[in-house]
Amino acid sequence: MGTSNLSGTGADQTAPARPTQKTFKRRSKRLKAWFPYLLVAPAVIYLLLITLYPGIYAIVQSFYAVKFGPWQPVGFANYARLFNDYQFWGALWNTFVIGSISLTLQCLIALAIAFYAYRDPWVKGWRIIFLIPMLFMPSAVAFIYKLFFLDARVFADISIRLGLIDGNIAFQSSIWMSRSILILADVWQWTPFLFIIFVAALQGQDEEVEEAARLDGASWYQIFWNISLPMMKPVIAVALILRGIDITTMFTNVFVITKGGPAFGTETISYFIYRTGFKFFDFGYASSASVIMLILTIIIAQFVVKRAFVSAKV
Amino acid sequence: MPVLWFLSIGFRPRTEIITTQPIYWPTFSLDAWHMIWEDWPMAKYLRNSVLAIIGSVLIDLVLAIPAAYSLSRYTYRGRDDIGFYILSTRMMAPAIVAIPIFFLFRNMGLLDTVWALMLIYAAINLSFVTWIIRSYMMDIPKELEDAAKTDGAGDLRILWEIIIPAILPGIITASVIAMIFAINEFLFTLLIASTPNAYTMSVALANFTGGSDGLIYNAIALVAFLAFVPVFIVVVLIQKHLSRGLTMGAVKG
Repeated sequence: MGTSNLSGTGADQTAPARPTQKTFKRRSKRLKAWFPYLLVAPAVIYLLLITLYPGIYAIVQSFYAVKFGPWQPVGFANYARLFNDYQFWGALWNTFVIGSISLTLQCLIALAIAFYAYRDPWVKGWRIIFLIPMLFMPSAVAFIYKLFFLDARVFADISIRLGLIDGNIAFQSSIWMSRSILILADVWQWTPFLFIIFVAALQGQDEEVEEAARLDGASWYQIFWNISLPMMKPVIAVALILRGIDITTMFTNVFVITKGGPAFGTETISYFIYRTGFKFFDFGYASSASVIMLILTIIIAQFVVKRAFVSAKV
Repeated sequence: MPVLWFLSIGFRPRTEIITTQPIYWPTFSLDAWHMIWEDWPMAKYLRNSVLAIIGSVLIDLVLAIPAAYSLSRYTYRGRDDIGFYILSTRMMAPAIVAIPIFFLFRNMGLLDTVWALMLIYAAINLSFVTWIIRSYMMDIPKELEDAAKTDGAGDLRILWEIIIPAILPGIITASVIAMIFAINEFLFTLLIASTPNAYTMSVALANFTGGSDGLIYNAIALVAFLAFVPVFIVVVLIQKHLSRGLTMGAVKG
């Protein structure tokens, strides 16, 4: 595939560069125009194989009823069904609700800690400690939270001992309780991601401006609001976008902790696709949901990422 | 906090873990330790993980370094679109491509093999790796290359002898981050590795959930910890470059 082709050119070109230089001047000129394309081609081809092929496959499959036997063409029936499927809309809503709450919390906490810690001489140590949750496998984190809240009920037990509640908390039957666990797990694991990025940005800011403002008697929130925050805007945008992408594709936590329950109250889009596709083997239907997701992704990508990454490129 | 508590679980006997009254002062036990190595082919899972991850990182580097070089150094038609396309693959939800990839690998006979995992991890991380390396390449002063060029070095020789050594920290950062994402990947691994043939550490966890024993938490905790330690050590070593790597080079730091 692309791999071998590329390493081949790399090895050949370096060695005999000198003798060929004069003889093939004209040919090398034409090659020169193609050269940059040649260099990116393998990567692009590889990605096309692994994204475009599935994309087209999903689009085709979404017009068929695919169960165990041969494919049955059904036209737009899958889409019509999707449109009327309250579980699909529910999954979209859940993804949005869980994602936006989680993202907001993460961002605020990370900003607060980062602003508090970035001039701290111990910031290196803090960074390492904060890293710990992020470096655990997400599936492991999910199991931690499942155990903590559901199976061993440590949380409930501690709350009872502290006299905060009497009796058990209905984690498994309350939609908002289940959502809170998902949000908490996500916040716990990924706030460090934002923290590390924000600290780096804050440390990069001009110390003299900050010092001058302080001498002029600016309070910490004035410094934060008027100096640090504007400077961090592009960084925050990029970080939130990257994190936002991951949250909207949330799967592992749902799979491990709640399985989408209770009453589909925590089922995210990814889990919806997984459930219809790999549990009910309704591949055509799952594909139509994938296509909708794909379209949403492309729209959002065009709109946000292009802007954020261009502005942050400097 | 949860980490300490979790770690303690890894070294407790099973009976202590799932009780209606949680036990806070554990008795030490190596039950889980014995269990994961003796009752389960954990060594094989570990080998699968290591093979798939290292393979995928190598594929990524071979594809990404020339691509990043092209994107950072040449101006040509469609360059920004190509760069943006590579970036946008990062945004694709795994669930969208999961079904077609599943069939693709099944038709290729790759289902349930380490090779399939290697290919998929490489694809997931390629955008990331390319952009991180690109951002480091953009920082290299042009004079450095011009000097080499007047000495008569060809483009690829400049890449090999000057640029790659100069951005080595970037390459290492990218590799480490790709490694972490590969270890963490769950959905594809779950779908592709449907039997223990290709199980990796992250799916091995899901292994301890079924069967008559119920959830075997001490084993889960221990496996999670085993996967965590090497990652943690490597990340502490590169922590200076971490924030930059995590944002694909959009933030310098």
